[in-house]
Amino acid sequence: MPSYTCPETLMRKLTFIVFILLANILLTACGTSNTDAPAKAVETYLGALVAKDADRLPTLVCGDWEDDALLELDSIQAVDAHLDNAVCQQTGTEGDTSLVNCTGSIVLTYDGEDQNIDLSTFTYQVVQEGGDWLVCGTR
Amino acid sequence: MGLTQILASILTALLVGALTRSTTRVYFLLAASVLAVYWFQPVVPLRSFDFWLPSLSLALVLLIWFITSQTNAWKLHQNLVGLSVIIGLVTLVDLSRYIFSDPIFTQTSPPQFVQFFLFAIISAVTILLFSRFSPTWKLSVVILLLVAILIILKSPNLSLQTSILFRTLANRPIENASALDLRWLGFSYIAFRIIHVLRDKQMGRLPELSLPEFATYVVFFPTLAAGPIDRAERFAKDLRADTALTQDETLLAGQRIAIGLFKKFVIADALALIALNDTLAIQARTAGWMWIHLYAYAFQIYFDFSGYTDIAIGIARLVGIKLPENFASPYTKPNLTQFWSSWHMTLTQWIRSYFFNPFNRWVRGYKFIPAWTMILIGQLATMLLIGLWHGVTVNFLLWGAWHGLGLFLQNRWSDFVKTRIMTTNPRLQTALQFGGVLLTFHFVALGWVFFALSEPSLSWHVLMKLLP
Repeated sequence: MPSYTCPETLMRKLTFIVFILLANILLTACGTSNTDAPAKAVETYLGALVAKDADRLPTLVCGDWEDDALLELDSIQAVDAHLDNAVCQQTGTEGDTSLVNCTGSIVLTYDGEDQNIDLSTFTYQVVQEGGDWLVCGTR
Repeated sequence: MGLTQILASILTALLVGALTRSTTRVYFLLAASVLAVYWFQPVVPLRSFDFWLPSLSLALVLLIWFITSQTNAWKLHQNLVGLSVIIGLVTLVDLSRYIFSDPIFTQTSPPQFVQFFLFAIISAVTILLFSRFSPTWKLSVVILLLVAILIILKSPNLSLQTSILFRTLANRPIENASALDLRWLGFSYIAFRIIHVLRDKQMGRLPELSLPEFATYVVFFPTLAAGPIDRAERFAKDLRADTALTQDETLLAGQRIAIGLFKKFVIADALALIALNDTLAIQARTAGWMWIHLYAYAFQIYFDFSGYTDIAIGIARLVGIKLPENFASPYTKPNLTQFWSSWHMTLTQWIRSYFFNPFNRWVRGYKFIPAWTMILIGQLATMLLIGLWHGVTVNFLLWGAWHGLGLFLQNRWSDFVKTRIMTTNPRLQTALQFGGVLLTFHFVALGWVFFALSEPSLSWHVLMKLLP
C-alpha cells in the first residue's frame, strides 16, 4: 500500500524542488557575462556555413538575412570548405547593431585548387533577438 | 542516433548498471533519459525548436502521468523525487545557455529563461485543468490530441503549413519553410507508448506506475529514436527487479551491441550506397540493375532497423531491462502472415491489440457482411494504418494496400490449399517451404518500391522496369 507524505514532509519536498530551481538560477548568475557574444555568434555562423549545415544556419541569423545566408551556403555547396584561423572581434556598435570584424579566411577547395576568401574584407552586422546574437548582414 | 550518441548511451548504461540497484537505478535512468531527449533531438531550422519539441515530449509525459494516476499519487516520496529530477534537469538544460558559451545539452542555444518559465506555467495550468475533468473525457481528448499531432507530423502538407505558421509568428521568411522543419525525435514511439497506457487505463487494466517508472518507460534513452515499443507493465517489472550487472550479462549485452553496430554501420551503410532511391530509380538503365537496387534496399532497411534494435536491446540489458524483440529473421518466413509476425513485431503487436482486434470485433457486429469481406476489410484497414504511421502520403498508402491485399490473398490461399494439398513427401514439403520463402521475400521486396520512393509515378516506372 502506498503511504502518502504528510503535509510537513510534503512541504519539505516542495521546498527541495524550489531549491533546485533556485540553485539553477544561481548557477546562471555565476555564469560568465560573455561580452564577446556578437563575435562568438559570427564565428558560430561561419562554422555552420563551411559545415554546410542548412538546418543550423537559419537559427544563427536574423529573419531578414536568412535568404542571403542560405544563398551563401548554396554558393559553396559544390566545393570543400573550411575555416583557416578565423577569429572574430566586436569592433563597434551602431544603435542596436554590433559590428564584428574577423581575421583569417574561408578556404574553398575545388578540384585540388584552393581559393581563399579573406574574412577581413567583411564587417558583420549582429543584432540581438530573444536574447541571442544573430548575424544580420555584412558590409 | 549517431555513433557518438550510441557510445555515450553505452557508457551511461554501463555506469548506471554497475553502480546502482533497483531503488536508485530508476532515478539515474530517468535523469539520463531526460537529458537524452534533448541531446538526441536533431537541430531544426526553427530557432529553439530543438529545445521546445523535447520539452513538449516531457510535458506530455507529466500530463499523462497526472491524469492516469491516483489523485494524490504525486505526494508520494518516489513521485516527488521524480518530479524534482524532471523539472530540475529541464530547468538546467534551459539555464545552460547562460552558463556555457556553446550549447551542451541541445544542438542550438536554448530559449531565454522567461520564455521557458512561461512554458512551464502554461504546462502546469494545463495539467491542473485536465486533472479536473472526468476520467473518460480527459483520456479520450488526450488520445485525440496525440493522433492529431501524429497526423500533422506525418503529413507533408500539414507539416509544411505548420512550419509556415511558426515562421510567420517568428517573423521568418516563409519561402524557406519545409515539411521537414518539424522533426520531432521519437514522437511516433512516444505517442504509441502513451496511447497504450491511456487505452489500458480506459480498460481498467493499467497497473499503478510511479512517475519515475512511467517517465522512464516513455522516454527510455536506448529506445527513444527507433523503439522497440515495450509494454509499460513489463518495463516496470524489470525496473523494479533488484538485478545486479553480472559479467555474463555484460558480455551478452556487449555481443548484442556489437552485432547491432556491425549491422547498422557496416552492412546497412554500405548497402545504402546502392539501395533504391528516387535518383537511382531514374538512373538505372537495365532490369538487372533495378533488381540490384531493390535487393540492396530490402536488406539495407532490414539491417539498419534491426541493427538499431540490437543496439537498443543491448544497452537496455546493461541496466537490467529486457526489451522485447522487434525482428525474428523476417526474410526467411514462408508466408506474409509469418513475415508480419516477425517484422517490427512490437509495432504489429501494438496495432493488433489497439486496432485490429477491436476493429474486427466491431465489424463482426454487422452480421450481413460475408466472412471473406470481413477479413479483407480487417487486413486492409490494419495495413493502411501501418502505412499511414510511416507517413501520410500516397506511396505509404499504396504500400499498406499492397500488404493488406497480400495478407488477404494469402489467407484465402491458405484456406484453399489446406484441404486440397496434403503431402507427406519431405522433399515436396521442403520445396514448398523454399518456394514460399522466395515468393514472400519478393512480394515484400516489390512492396518496398512504394515505401522507398516518393511518388507513385516513380514507383510505377520502377515496377515496369523490373520486368525484363
